[in-house]
Amino acid sequence: MADNDHADVVRLPFERAIEELESIVKRLEEGKVPLEESVLIYERGEALKRRCEELLRLAEARVEKITLDSSGKPIGTEPLDVK
Amino acid sequence: MTTLLVTHSACLNHLTPAGHPERPDRLRAIERALEGERFQNLARVEAPAASLETIALCHPMDYVTAIRDATPQNGLAQLDADTSMSPGSFEAALRAAGGAVFAVDEVIAGKARNAFVATRPPGHHTEIARPMGFCLFNNAAVAARHAQKEHGIARAAVIDFDVHHGNGSQDIFWSDATVMYGSTHQMPLYPGTGAKNERGEHDTIVNAPLRPGDGGVKFREAFESVILPRLRDFAPELIVISAGFDAHMRDPLANLNLLESDFEWGTRKLMEVADKYAQGRVVSVLEGGYDLQGLANSAAAHVAALMQG
Repeated sequence: MADNDHADVVRLPFERAIEELESIVKRLEEGKVPLEESVLIYERGEALKRRCEELLRLAEARVEKITLDSSGKPIGTEPLDVK
Repeated sequence: MTTLLVTHSACLNHLTPAGHPERPDRLRAIERALEGERFQNLARVEAPAASLETIALCHPMDYVTAIRDATPQNGLAQLDADTSMSPGSFEAALRAAGGAVFAVDEVIAGKARNAFVATRPPGHHTEIARPMGFCLFNNAAVAARHAQKEHGIARAAVIDFDVHHGNGSQDIFWSDATVMYGSTHQMPLYPGTGAKNERGEHDTIVNAPLRPGDGGVKFREAFESVILPRLRDFAPELIVISAGFDAHMRDPLANLNLLESDFEWGTRKLMEVADKYAQGRVVSVLEGGYDLQGLANSAAAHVAALMQG
């Protein structure tokens, strides 16, 4: 039911996404979320987790690209297709 | 011997805000599902109202009277973000608890083999002195304590397969070595309790959390490897089921993927333990379940299993 409710998440920078995710985890663990909203908040947390994982994957790929392409020295950060 | 179906029309008069998932139509959907031919042998009875003293077996009398006094003359009184009362709520709550208590009396007297109590408001989130999560009195817990006090049941078990953890039942039985509380539920989810390491003072609390997305295979694994072995070790003389059907895949309030056949399977497994240790005595009390079709079909599968004995 919340499939389209988290469209903004795919544009969040890593810092914002992880900050909101941490806040959601804390609220769920403390039981401070109303029953009716609990599943929606959990699903937003899932969307945030996926966003963070995607950004981390991209960052790892970029680091790897630099490592592989440099012959001793970094040569830049050209985009890498990681699909 | 027969299976008892305990209901009362007063439970339809517990009204909740517009759009609230815990709504009177839940009971109507179950009632319709149990009208079919295969349910014609159910012994249908009306739930009596519990006395305040009986409810006080699990909740302080001050709490019981505070709930009574919170009943609005008209409109709704909001008790927390999820939980509210309408003018008909107090009677509904008395009959929800009373239905479970009556079912215990009938089953222990041997007048029925087992029972399903289709009432609302639900109960398993109600802590010792705190209403929450759509719940006012802890019906299943009151039924278990009543069985102990009035019928000399030494060990009662409350097994809860509602998708939410029964924090209230856990709270009530935390220090009680004579009642086992076992639960499968989704984590993380409301109310946030129910981790494996929450075991009670006497190791009689048994939590088997499931992960979002888990379905029948994981549910059955949790039952087979955690809940049932502990239940057999405990050797209960009565099993009360907190029967929530919101772990169904259609349910809007959670992310588990159980099917009707999983509820039927779980019911049969609990009946097998009851047959061995508890003379078959099972009293099942409705908790959650918010997709009307998933709820009705699952409750029907559950009751059909109870009848098959």
